[in-house]
Formats: sequence, structure tokens, C-alpha cells
Amino acid sequence: MLSSINSRAIVPVACAVTGFVIACCVLLYTFVKGDLITGEIHHAADLADTVIKSTRYAMLHDDRETLSQIINNIGDQNQVEHVRIFNKKGLIMFSRDGSEVNNFIDKTAAGCNECHAESKPKRKLGAMDQARQFTNKDDHDVLAITAPIYNEPECSNAACHFHDAGQSLLGTLDIGVSQAPLKKTLTQLKGRMIMFSGMVLVLTVGAVCALLYRQVFLPIKQLVDFTEKAPGDSLDYDFPQVSGEVARLANAFKQMTVRVKELEDRQDKSREDPSTEPLP
Amino acid sequence: MSQAGPHPGGQQMPGHEDLRQRIEVRIRRLERASLAGLWSMVLFLLVSFCAYENFTFLPDLSDDFRRMLGAPPPSEMISLALVIYAFSAIVGTLARMSRNIKPFRGLMHTAFFTAFYAFYYLSGVLPDNFWAVFFAGLSVMGLENYYLWAHSNEALHKEREMLDRLRGGGE
Repeated sequence: MLSSINSRAIVPVACAVTGFVIACCVLLYTFVKGDLITGEIHHAADLADTVIKSTRYAMLHDDRETLSQIINNIGDQNQVEHVRIFNKKGLIMFSRDGSEVNNFIDKTAAGCNECHAESKPKRKLGAMDQARQFTNKDDHDVLAITAPIYNEPECSNAACHFHDAGQSLLGTLDIGVSQAPLKKTLTQLKGRMIMFSGMVLVLTVGAVCALLYRQVFLPIKQLVDFTEKAPGDSLDYDFPQVSGEVARLANAFKQMTVRVKELEDRQDKSREDPSTEPLP
Repeated sequence: MSQAGPHPGGQQMPGHEDLRQRIEVRIRRLERASLAGLWSMVLFLLVSFCAYENFTFLPDLSDDFRRMLGAPPPSEMISLALVIYAFSAIVGTLARMSRNIKPFRGLMHTAFFTAFYAFYYLSGVLPDNFWAVFFAGLSVMGLENYYLWAHSNEALHKEREMLDRLRGGGE
């Protein structure tokens, strides 16, 4: 199968183009996926920051009712899977899920590890370290951000309650957003990339095959048919409609046949009439 | 190949048997060469299978060992290196094919693609990038091995023709 000139020319092209395009598409998909996830994390971190800023006034005035209402309203949004605020000890103070309130959070769970992996917890985390991805009990993919609520002069100076100036961390906001839209976008992207790669492959390999067939294989086939004519057939007719190197080859073959024919004629004549000049 | 022809007296020329043996040795060498590519491909597929399983048979690297190795390169850099390597390898093989230069036979490509798997593994992003390395490897090694096979077959054909002519002349 691989001995024909067609397959010898097409197999390397198909092999090189197919593998390279697929590898590049996989890498491109990985890059885009990474960029989208990073964007989503920054978006969720901004959302967490907005929540902290929105609840700041209620916290300064120790207005727990308003704070609880804000948390409930945020938690009611479509893409928000969970939202909770817990204090430094890990006791959940406010949550959209009422059953969580007054329970301790699991410090060994994903997301808590970033700060609590060592004996002395970290004070500051970047946006990427604050994020964690997991599947919750409802089988939803969640991207969660844990944003620390730091002590500020207004907090420690307030007359309402007991935060002293030496306490750096007052609590943590944990907000989880659904990854369903991101997954949907990635699935669409994957489908489109597969379709696009398929089209590129078909076009590239198809175009190479068509060009090879038109420019090389067809002229060669015509040339082979031309040269395989029965001895004695006139070569003036059915000269292949070819151009370039193949035409030169056909012409050379034709001239060679004419010369052979002349030589044969002269040989025949010299046999019949010995006075004829012998062949060189 | 005038030396391959029979001696006018009906006896074979003194170098006749020598030449036949040399051709047979060359044929055996070419047969081995066309199979060498297959072995490197099998090795690559074996490594790929282990990589697909995320090298689960390897023990977890200790923190001390990881510290000794240093920080892994960013995955974007590894991917860029992979694209450049695959592209230049394909272009190199196609250039060798067009100029009919002797194909590469060793395990160099297998070693390089294994290194890419290792780098991705150490960076912790192997599952995301496995198919990229696999298809790049398949493409580069498939093309190289195809050329090796075609080149060896062509040479084998010539050597066998020569041997047949020699045997035919010797009879």
C-alpha cells in the first residue's frame, strides 16, 4: 500500500500536519482554560472584596441584623453557591445556610490549608492563593474565595465591642461561585476548536492531495500510458497534455523512440542492401 | 557492478563471494535499522502510557528532593519549548527527506518527549498537557520512523536486486 508514489507523498504530509495541529490545539486550549480560570478567580476575589466593603458599615456598628440580611441577599444570587463569615476561631457567625451558623469550620479542609498548613498561620495571601476549586455536596463545581477581614483602627477604636488593636485578623469571608458557566464556555470552546482543527486538517491534507494529484500523479499517469503504447504505434497522437518537467520527459522519450525507430530502419536496410553504410 | 559478473572462463571472480557476503551483511544491517525506529516508537508509547496514568507508580517526591530540584519552570515555558521542538523536528525531518539525507535512528526524540512528560509532571500540570505531548511525539516520531522505514526499504530493494544479479551471474 505504501509503495505507490501517492501514499509516499501524502503519508508524511498527513502525519506531520495532523499531529502538530492537534498538539497545538491541545496547548492552546490549556492556555485559554488557564486564562479563563485566572480571570474567574480575580472576578471572585473582587466579588469577595465588594462583599467585605458592603458589610463594613454594618460591622462597625455591630448591626448583626443588617449584616445577616446582606449575606442572605448575596447568597440568593444565581451563581453564588455559598457565602459565610466566620470569626478568627473558625466559628461561623453568618451564613446563607442557616444550619451552618454557630458551627466550627473544618480548618483542614481545602482552602483553609493555604493559611493553616503550618503551625503559625499566614497573614496575607494573594488572590490566586485565596481560591480553591471543589465539588460541593450538591455535586456542583465551585470556585471559592476566602478573604480575610483585617482589623482596622476604626474597628479597635469603636466603643461597641471588644476588638483590641493587637488583633490583626477579625474573621474571614468565604464565598463560593458556581463554575457551571465557565465549564459551559470551556465545553463550547473545546467543541469549536475540534471543529476548527478538523476543518484545517481536511483542508490542508485535501489541498495537498488535490495539488499532488493534479500536478504530479495525473501527468505521470498520462506519461506512463503514453510510454506503454504497443510497439509500432505512432507517438504523434495522444501526446500527454502535460507541462514542465513531465512534458520534457515525454518529449525526450518521444525523441528517443524516433531515434530507435530510425536506427532499426537503417539496420533493416543494411541487411537487405549490403552496400548501405553500416551502423556506427 | 562489473565485478559481480561471471569470469569469462566460467569461474567466479575471486572477490565474488566476498561481495555477496558484504551485501548480505548490509541487508541484515538495513533490516535491523528499519526495525530500530519501531523500538523507539514502542518505548515512547510505553512512557506515554505511564504518563497517562500520571506516573502513579512513582513514589511521591519528598520536600527535600523537590527543594534540591528547585522551582519547576512555568508550564507556559514548557509548552512553548514543546511547540518549538516539535516544529523544528518536523521541519528537520522533512528537509532530510527532500535532500535524501540518511534518517535519524536513535532514541533522541523518545528521550526529549520523556523529558517533556517529566517537566509537566514536576510542574503538576501533566493531565492538562498529556495529549499535547502525545500527539506532538506521535507526529514527530511517526514522520521520522516513516522516513527511516522508507529509506531502509529503498536501500534494501537495491541491495537485494544487486544480490539477485550476483546470484544470477554466478550460476
